[in-house]
Amino acid sequence: MTAASASRIKPGFRQQSAKLLETAALLLIIAFIMLPILWLALTAIKPQEKAYTTDIIFTPTLDNFEIIFSDESVIINEGTDRERGEVGRKMVPNVFNSVVVSGATILIAIPLATLAAYAFSRYQFLGNGVLLIWILTTQFIPAIVVAIPFFTLFRTVEIFGSPLLGTRLGLIIVNMSIVLPYAIWMIKGFVDALPGEIEEAAYVDGCNDFQILFFISLPLIRPGVLVASVFAFIMSWNEFLFALIIGREMRTMQVALMTTSGARGIMWEQMAAAGMVVMVPIFFLAMFIRKNVVDGLTMGAVK
Amino acid sequence: MRKKRWVPWVLVGPALLIIVLTTIYPLIAALYFSFHKYKLRKPPQFAIQFGEGGLYIDWSLLTLDNYALAFRDSRFINSLEVTFWFTVISVALSVVIGLGIAVIVQKGGRLHTLTKVLLIFPFAVSPALKGYSWRFMLNENYGIYDLLIDSLIVKPINFVLSIVNALPLVEIPLISESIVWLGDKFWALFMLAMSETWGWAPLIALMFVGALGSIDEQIFEAARIDGANRIQIFFRVTLPLLRPVILIVTMLKTIFSLKMFDQVVTMTGGGPVRATQTINYYIHQVGFVRGLDIGYASAQSYILVVVLTICAALYVSLVLNRD
Repeated sequence: MTAASASRIKPGFRQQSAKLLETAALLLIIAFIMLPILWLALTAIKPQEKAYTTDIIFTPTLDNFEIIFSDESVIINEGTDRERGEVGRKMVPNVFNSVVVSGATILIAIPLATLAAYAFSRYQFLGNGVLLIWILTTQFIPAIVVAIPFFTLFRTVEIFGSPLLGTRLGLIIVNMSIVLPYAIWMIKGFVDALPGEIEEAAYVDGCNDFQILFFISLPLIRPGVLVASVFAFIMSWNEFLFALIIGREMRTMQVALMTTSGARGIMWEQMAAAGMVVMVPIFFLAMFIRKNVVDGLTMGAVK
Repeated sequence: MRKKRWVPWVLVGPALLIIVLTTIYPLIAALYFSFHKYKLRKPPQFAIQFGEGGLYIDWSLLTLDNYALAFRDSRFINSLEVTFWFTVISVALSVVIGLGIAVIVQKGGRLHTLTKVLLIFPFAVSPALKGYSWRFMLNENYGIYDLLIDSLIVKPINFVLSIVNALPLVEIPLISESIVWLGDKFWALFMLAMSETWGWAPLIALMFVGALGSIDEQIFEAARIDGANRIQIFFRVTLPLLRPVILIVTMLKTIFSLKMFDQVVTMTGGGPVRATQTINYYIHQVGFVRGLDIGYASAQSYILVVVLTICAALYVSLVLNRD
């Protein structure tokens, strides 16, 4: 007894070294996670001549952002033999595409998913369990299988006189296949967590189903719907395969990353700058839904 | 309580319709394409046709050639092998490292909490960007990873080896300090899996942290009182209790790994010499880059669908049977 309490007051060598080891492990984890992100951020603000070194001492510059967003030739590094940086990357339309596609995807998907999630949570109807599992399994369909038929379909289907292939609308349509199932499951989790008594009371007071839904339940699950919207936005923002095959020349930022290459291969300082544009907004959104990412990714399977 | 039977259908209907149109339609269409000779260059002739006598089926246009071709195509077989090894390596690393991070991070403490917050960061990095940043960092001339691996791993090992070699017992060859990571068949695949692990291990750690948090602390307390040390507690208590979650997470990650595409495009481009051509990447090549052979690409993607369906069935049964 006395020995035990003594060791608690004065941690022995074993405990101390264990604690030290744990701190070292934590620092290693932090380095493992943060290194690629920090290196990318660092490269984005490096002057060109430093981007191709591992130096970490340099004068920060926004030149790389200027290059990727400019429409015209921007000559930086004048007088050196390196020619890179002379071409404007015209990233503004690409950012616009990403914002419009991701924004429209959630504007369509989230209301529909909310209604469906509410029904799955609150009603017993023929085959609701089977349907729900089926929706769960749609996430396992490889995107390429969705892309092939829609590619051939969109080549021929025309809207406003031009084929859907290579349009933002086409991308929004195929994005539904990945976003809707996740959103339904995510929002259903939030509705499930809402106690049913309030709705029962409203029903007894004479509200009909839709009055309950729109005036009682929806306001209560609004935070959950917001989280699902953010999650869906991130999914479609980061989506690559559809953007490549269906979006084509209507590039989203993910595909536009590939346009940072020139005669000398990829211009890493420009790629890093474009990468920051891709990454930083999602960073803030991800922090906002930090507590819900696991549920979102696993559709609530791991709790 | 509520009687109107049509209400749920009105609510579910629109979402269901869109899911059916964007998932079931392509599944059926791709299956249909896979039985045809269908190249993008010329308009396809489909078996189901509308003629003067109404709808009829021209059986002669249906073919199994695409599937037969797949099993003769050494590049497709190669993509199966690549995907298999990529999946094995990336799943094993992600789950093991994820579990390790979770166990370390789980306890209280300021640094622990900070690490837990940082775990979400790789989620914000899109797969395409992940691929590019790893390719940049692995560059043999100016990559930070290349520098770190050489100076922190390769050089110390070589130092030890050179001491051993100084003794007149054995002669062990030193490790090359100039490996071109993405130029070597094994290392390219391994690094591709590492980039995937970087993105997923922290997320998997978060999943495990949640699962660990829901385990009653008294169980660990009891084990400690019984005199178990940390390693015993981990293997005899924590691991068995986490088993259902580990299985689910492993299955989920397997499914995601089998669909690997984005980073292959941005990190390795399938190379060197097809060493990182995953199934999805090869299908994309066949359908949209090289052959423009939609029929063959559809057949290949259906083979992938069959594999994924088996995994999905396993996954769903794991999720449903979990108590």
